[in-house]
Amino acid sequence: MKLASMVSAIAIATGVAAVGWAGESTGGLALGSKVPAAVAKTKMKNVDGKMLSLADVTGKAGTLVVFTCNHCPFAKDWEQRIVELGNAYAGKGIGVVLVNANDPTQHADDGFEEMQAHAKSRGMKIPYVVDETSAVARAFGASITPEAFLFDKTGKLAYHGTIDDNRKEPDKVKARYLKDALDAVVAGKAPAVSETKGLGCGIKFRS
Amino acid sequence: MTAPLVLASLLAAEAAAPAPVRVDVAELPAIMAAVKAPGAQAVLVNVWATWCEPCREEMPDLVRFYRDHRADGLRLVLISADDDDQRAEVARVLGALGFDGPAFIKRGNDMTFIDALDPAWKGALPATFLFDAHGAKKRSWLGSVTYDDLRARVSGLLKRRKR
Repeated sequence: MKLASMVSAIAIATGVAAVGWAGESTGGLALGSKVPAAVAKTKMKNVDGKMLSLADVTGKAGTLVVFTCNHCPFAKDWEQRIVELGNAYAGKGIGVVLVNANDPTQHADDGFEEMQAHAKSRGMKIPYVVDETSAVARAFGASITPEAFLFDKTGKLAYHGTIDDNRKEPDKVKARYLKDALDAVVAGKAPAVSETKGLGCGIKFRS
Repeated sequence: MTAPLVLASLLAAEAAAPAPVRVDVAELPAIMAAVKAPGAQAVLVNVWATWCEPCREEMPDLVRFYRDHRADGLRLVLISADDDDQRAEVARVLGALGFDGPAFIKRGNDMTFIDALDPAWKGALPATFLFDAHGAKKRSWLGSVTYDDLRARVSGLLKRRKR
């Protein structure tokens, strides 16, 4: 049973109420979904000044979209691992893009110039783009940073979730969820673990 | 300043300072034991962090609601997602608000922790969960809460004090 169905079944069975907020989605794209058509060709400004859409970055082996940002301590803790994975798998046929959907008026650290500085200092060889109306994040049902969506070579969502099982201590990671999923997708297989969760900052959606 | 005056000033300062808050670094079993320990009519569990602005904004309402209703059987368990070395800062923030209940810094696997509180929760901070006297979850707020939200949803689980 997929996570979203399981959650609905549990909620119905227990009568437990969950109240979301403007920034929180209790779901996200379901496994097997494609990039939402409404935003597939939405142009987003990359840190190099060029405009890119998700369609533009689609890879032959698959496509990785990570919603992240500059200011969030969770995103910062995982940042180097995200960049290393992105740089490495971009060379293995995976199209990779990091998306910042946060409203910089809520956190100045998420402004475009700060993103440019961030990309340079972290050695990003992959696009880091601005979702300037947060429409892409909304269409994905993304709600936290960092949150990864990995599509396989047929364009179907194969993995959704967090990076690994130990944000605070990289040397004590036991389960490399995203890396394992990337390896599976590059090999043309389904990831053994396709949905995970981790604590994160709520996306500061633009109004 | 004379010695008696210095002593009086120090005593006054100590009396005015908030009581130190005990913050335990704990994994899920210890945290859930505190949540489900008998003796409460209702238990609110809030997950927050010192650097999380919406968390800091809602915290005064949470603590005020707890202080107004603890005599009615309300327990508030605060779980910080801060790093372990931020223990003193977590204690300082909660002490300044006059919180005197169980407070933790969470360790261990995020996914297990998230699903134990609510499988529908994706893990964004802040989040608040309501359990009844039997440890059954009754409600989740995935995002900020206010005093009025809590009064509307929690009060029905609490016993009424003789006033």
